[in-house]
Amino acid sequence: MRTMLSKIQNEYCISVSNLKKQYGKNIAYAVNDITFNVEYGTVFGFLGPNGAGKTTTLRILTTLLRPSYGSIYVFGKDLTKNQLEIKKRIGVVSQNPSFETNLTVERALDLYGMLWGLNKKIRKEKINEILNTFDLESLRNVKNDELSIGQRRRVQVAREFIHEMDLLFLDEPTVGLDPSARRLLLDYIKNQVKMGLTVFFTTHIMEEAEYLCDKIAIIDRGKITAFDTPTGLKQKHGKGAKTIELTFKDILGKSFIQLLNTTISKKQDSDNSNSYIDLNGTHTVTITVNNAEEIISDVLKLVYENGLEIESISINRPSLEEVFLSIVNNDDLRNKQSNDGERTTKC
Amino acid sequence: MIGSILLLVYRNLVAAIDKIFLVWIVAFPIVYIFVVGYSYSPLIGDQSIKIGTLSVTYTSFLTAGMIGFNAMNGSSVAGSIVWNDKRNGMFQQLLVMRFSKVHYIIGNLVTIILIGLASAGIIILIGFPTMSEDINITLWGISYTVYALVIGSIFFGSFAIILSTKIRSSETHSVINNGLFLFFSFASSAFYPAHGLPVPLSAAFYINPLTYIVDISRAGIFSQIDAFTNIEVLIISILAATVFMIATRSMVNMKV
Repeated sequence: MRTMLSKIQNEYCISVSNLKKQYGKNIAYAVNDITFNVEYGTVFGFLGPNGAGKTTTLRILTTLLRPSYGSIYVFGKDLTKNQLEIKKRIGVVSQNPSFETNLTVERALDLYGMLWGLNKKIRKEKINEILNTFDLESLRNVKNDELSIGQRRRVQVAREFIHEMDLLFLDEPTVGLDPSARRLLLDYIKNQVKMGLTVFFTTHIMEEAEYLCDKIAIIDRGKITAFDTPTGLKQKHGKGAKTIELTFKDILGKSFIQLLNTTISKKQDSDNSNSYIDLNGTHTVTITVNNAEEIISDVLKLVYENGLEIESISINRPSLEEVFLSIVNNDDLRNKQSNDGERTTKC
Repeated sequence: MIGSILLLVYRNLVAAIDKIFLVWIVAFPIVYIFVVGYSYSPLIGDQSIKIGTLSVTYTSFLTAGMIGFNAMNGSSVAGSIVWNDKRNGMFQQLLVMRFSKVHYIIGNLVTIILIGLASAGIIILIGFPTMSEDINITLWGISYTVYALVIGSIFFGSFAIILSTKIRSSETHSVINNGLFLFFSFASSAFYPAHGLPVPLSAAFYINPLTYIVDISRAGIFSQIDAFTNIEVLIISILAATVFMIATRSMVNMKV
């Protein structure tokens, strides 16, 4: 058993077992018995609603907090016993801003590089590279306290890439960034991951998680409620549902919606309890069903019989956001977990 | 360990010392020495001020007082370092880097002492001509002065750190900081001698740590060390150690 554990700890970049964190006696666990592993050279997405335990977990992993229970291995080393050694190999972009008020962007980057032990020549090269890559050249001589919130965030994120690291923790790094800066950052991270960097990523923006993450864990009320690849999550928790979106040239009448409802009800099988129809505006209808391929011909037949003209039609899988909402809003699952005190959520 | 502390000291100095701080640390004492010192001298006339067995001019007395005063001014920057680090997220960022809380605390302590000594050194250089006639340099005297400046820097730096860690709003921090340092500055023997004052005011002087620091550094500069100086050394050492321990505890418990 011990050998197997040791193998797992060495195999993964991060290996967390039965982690618990309680801020005080008689207070509910902020993190309640979570277990997960993060593979080397991948992006691990850690998603969850506000107060779910994301930041607490991240703070424990970055040594800012001590766990109440459980073991954490980073690079195969016990985090609690090898903090300094591990910290030399990680980078952290925290949720809150961090900057040196009085310094210009260039001076602050230089100082940061120096704190990481980089020599002057490397610092200069790295600063030029970072300012160029993150489109910050125009801010080189601007003082940090004169930057906008978004600019400051860009500098903070860019700053972390001044030093070499094997593992990067990103706590909602794109908050405050405009779309182009966001895409720039995500693409840069993707490239770094290709070169071997491992990333632990928390976000509220599901598109980002889907774009970037190899694996995603969803945490809710301190427990991991789902873990898989983004596609796997959609398959598992989307329950095979698909949406048919139909946009008509004509305004849709109540009678047509009723007919549509009847047609779909007839085609529903026993597992189709999640089927529903949404009318978006006056021209568009969205049908969510498990058997979209079977239903589509009946729907089209109905449209033809009613003399309606279709402008566009699409069949889609549910988005990660919909999956996320279905997981965190799933009271049955939550209740089952809270009743099952001994159960450990394993990824 | 030492490498990390030195890096943090360098970082503190770079982050904390800006033009405004330099003006604050150099201009104010110069104004006091040359404007206040020479403006009050005609009022005081030929009356000299006694330090131990020595009688000195008011300008000499004031310049020697400004040395301790400036150590207090300089070391109060420690409060602003901690305050800014806490507000601007750098405290947390440093802790996820290669630094620990112990590094951070020792780094701040060394920074306080360096800035305190440098600030006092600036005044010694600038003010030397004004007290050159009365000054009496001895090794024993220098060691008392340096000790007073170091211990004073630790006291006031630690005090500023406690305020920075305990207070949350900028306005409250500013009001309390300015109010207390105003008391420290003017209810002390930095500007006027404590002997001969009404009892309540004299008592206020002697609950003020700056009085002890200024008295000891002045006694060292003029080589007028007596038994009372040693009592003052003992009191301020105990006070500084206590305040430093509280400051350390505050920094250890500072939320990240």
